[in-house]
Amino acid sequence: MDILNSMLGGFEAAFTLVNLAYICVGIVLGIIFGVLPGLGSVTALAMLVPITFYFTPLAAIAFLVGINKGGTSGGAIPAILINAPGTPEAAATALDGHPLAKQGRPEKAMKTALYSSVFGDTFSDIVLILLAAPFAAVALTFGPNELTTIILFSFTMIAALAGRSLVKGLIAAALGLFLSTWGLDPVDSTERMTFGAIHLYDGIPLLPFAIGTLALSSVLSQLYDMRRDRGQPPPAPLPPASQFRAENRISPREFWGNWKTLIRSSCIGTGVGILPGLGVTLAAFLGYGAARRSSPRGDKFGTGELEGIQATEAANSAVVGSNLIPTIALGIPGNVAAALLIGAFTIHGVVPGPLMMVNHAELIYSIFASMLMANLAHLVIGRVGIRIWVQFVRIPKHIVLPTVVLLCVVGVYIPTNSMFDVGMLFLFAGVGYLMRKAGFSIVCLVIGFLLGENFEIYLRQTVLINKADLTVLLTNPVSLAFLLLTLFFAWHFGIRVPLKQKRARAASREARAASD
Amino acid sequence: MLNRIALAAVAATFAAGSAAAWPDKPITLIVPYKAGGTTHTKSMVLSKALGKALGGTVVVKTRPGAGSAVGVTFLSKAEPDGHTIAYTDLGNLIWNPLTKNDVAYKVEDLRLIAGVSEYQLALVTTPDKPYKTLDELLAYSKTNPLNVADMGGMSKTFINYMAAKEDVQWTAIPTRGGGEMVPFLLGGKIDFAFSGGVHQKHGDKMIVLASFLSDGLAKDPDAPTTQDLYGIAMPGNSVLITPAGVSDEIAAKLEAAVEAAMEDPDFTQVLQNIQFPKRYIPSSEISAFAASVTKSLEGVLASMK
Repeated sequence: MDILNSMLGGFEAAFTLVNLAYICVGIVLGIIFGVLPGLGSVTALAMLVPITFYFTPLAAIAFLVGINKGGTSGGAIPAILINAPGTPEAAATALDGHPLAKQGRPEKAMKTALYSSVFGDTFSDIVLILLAAPFAAVALTFGPNELTTIILFSFTMIAALAGRSLVKGLIAAALGLFLSTWGLDPVDSTERMTFGAIHLYDGIPLLPFAIGTLALSSVLSQLYDMRRDRGQPPPAPLPPASQFRAENRISPREFWGNWKTLIRSSCIGTGVGILPGLGVTLAAFLGYGAARRSSPRGDKFGTGELEGIQATEAANSAVVGSNLIPTIALGIPGNVAAALLIGAFTIHGVVPGPLMMVNHAELIYSIFASMLMANLAHLVIGRVGIRIWVQFVRIPKHIVLPTVVLLCVVGVYIPTNSMFDVGMLFLFAGVGYLMRKAGFSIVCLVIGFLLGENFEIYLRQTVLINKADLTVLLTNPVSLAFLLLTLFFAWHFGIRVPLKQKRARAASREARAASD
Repeated sequence: MLNRIALAAVAATFAAGSAAAWPDKPITLIVPYKAGGTTHTKSMVLSKALGKALGGTVVVKTRPGAGSAVGVTFLSKAEPDGHTIAYTDLGNLIWNPLTKNDVAYKVEDLRLIAGVSEYQLALVTTPDKPYKTLDELLAYSKTNPLNVADMGGMSKTFINYMAAKEDVQWTAIPTRGGGEMVPFLLGGKIDFAFSGGVHQKHGDKMIVLASFLSDGLAKDPDAPTTQDLYGIAMPGNSVLITPAGVSDEIAAKLEAAVEAAMEDPDFTQVLQNIQFPKRYIPSSEISAFAASVTKSLEGVLASMK
């Protein structure tokens, strides 16, 4: 009943026209960023966080949450229309969405994607609302011992995120970890890697680092590709929609007939969101894979099955709500978007962590209420604007990319009025560009950087508190549980899965050899 | 010759005119901390009150970094025309050039206009511990090594200084501000802690052992001060500063504006909300105050070596 009461209070505070307007603007911007190539909700968040300095805390977070929701579903639109996912998490959407579009039913695919997105989102938000308070209460009893092992556990996720090469993923994460140690030592205030520059005393600032490696480097890489592809024929025009409007309609029975898939994917996405470090993209592929395995029409996946779109979009959107659970309960960012939200919270004087539920309960429940309102707004805006979003797919890259460069620079400059940060932005854009071209995972780099600061300070607190006796980590039940989980995940993702893939590859080679 | 006199006269009137007309464009108030912190929160209302008193606009700009050293360095190099001023804490202002090698300003590069308010720096613990006062804590520490949460820099140096003087074994655990210290202290992970004033929010759940402010704490005036016990104190004052070259006339106007801001209802309300008392120090006293603080901090540093 407590939660119900708090939520009613939250709605009372959140249900204002101004707040609703911020949410709607956020969703529209999010969808647009999701549609545009190479951008996405993370880019949108990083670039728009500085604007929120001038908002009230509630409006600011509601706005950013709107962006996050819109961005995650917006990426599906170019994936469906031109088989070029706007965001990596929408890659699996293209598998079934694009064939549908080619059959003259692009709007049907887009509607399915939107409805599934909103379903996954709402599911995950409800889980967040139910679990945030109990999780925070448990987390309040955690000290450095427990927190050290929780972050250690989060690092194993890198293995799952690394993509094709585990070694390259580990190298990228180690680089991120190293970069997080720059600045004054948290224990003795000794300077580390500051090169005598006073601007580096507080370490490498998050915004230039995140915008540089994630957004600007992607833009640079696309600019390079444009130059390389000069003289190539222009991309194929959008597939025409069928003249029969009925073909683009989706009946409730068609949509809800796959309710099992919707719920399964929502659970997968929510679970992935709760574990710190994991991303939206992984959830999307896990959701798609699970649906293909268990659906009776699994063999038809990839030819324009609605169920495939539903499985992907419900899963990737379900991450958005639940990744706030570790953020709120522990102050540890669930992924890059959550890290940027933590930055936004801090700017508004709210420090994420277990105390947040105690000190700012009213604000938190107003944010929860805003999230539920945002889901409804998302449904309406996404549906009404469906023909408008299509137009954004047509905007040529030579207009989008330079605009984004400008926005990146402005976004980095505004919060600190510092040209040093702008320099850092370009430096990390260069680093990110080289890593992209060499096949190193940028996400691993950023995760290493994000978790590094917390890991160092909790580990050193643990060492100091226990007088360098680390056996405490084995006797403390919470720490021990997370240590065992760490070992299991490292084994599973680092050894078992790659071995399986290797065998599968070898088997397919043999099969091919046999058929020849 | 006549020309030259005329020119000099024009120049003189122009100079006088500019001082009389100040502020003739918006004043930038530098805050050397991140937006959203207590210093920034206070500066937002202070800037409005100053603007009202001066008949102009005061715009707040944050230049965070290096425990205020980035923003203060920026101010020390600004044009001393009174259009760039800063609001910061006196402690780090003095501490940074004393302890960090690369800080590019000296306290002499700055002009201290007036003191504004005061942080509530204290040593705190929870009521379930076997010690309720500083004396009991020290007696208990003689036989039990304890963990104490610090918040970096100055607080750690002070805690180590006290432990060395009393010959007790305290391990200073670094925490990143009240948001981290409070759950550790309430959760029993550490034994006692340094607090910048956050303990006031927690009422009975925390008890004050000692005050780091020389004049004691507003809410716990009976807590023993480190000034009385060890002859060292931390400056908790926040101050308004300008570059050293600012004219006396502008400095006097700014000081009058700060004094007027003290009576501003919005500013009073914000200070009440964050429970930090006003602490106005006029320019006539602030230099001597800063000098005594510098001496005390130098003493701490010398004895730590």
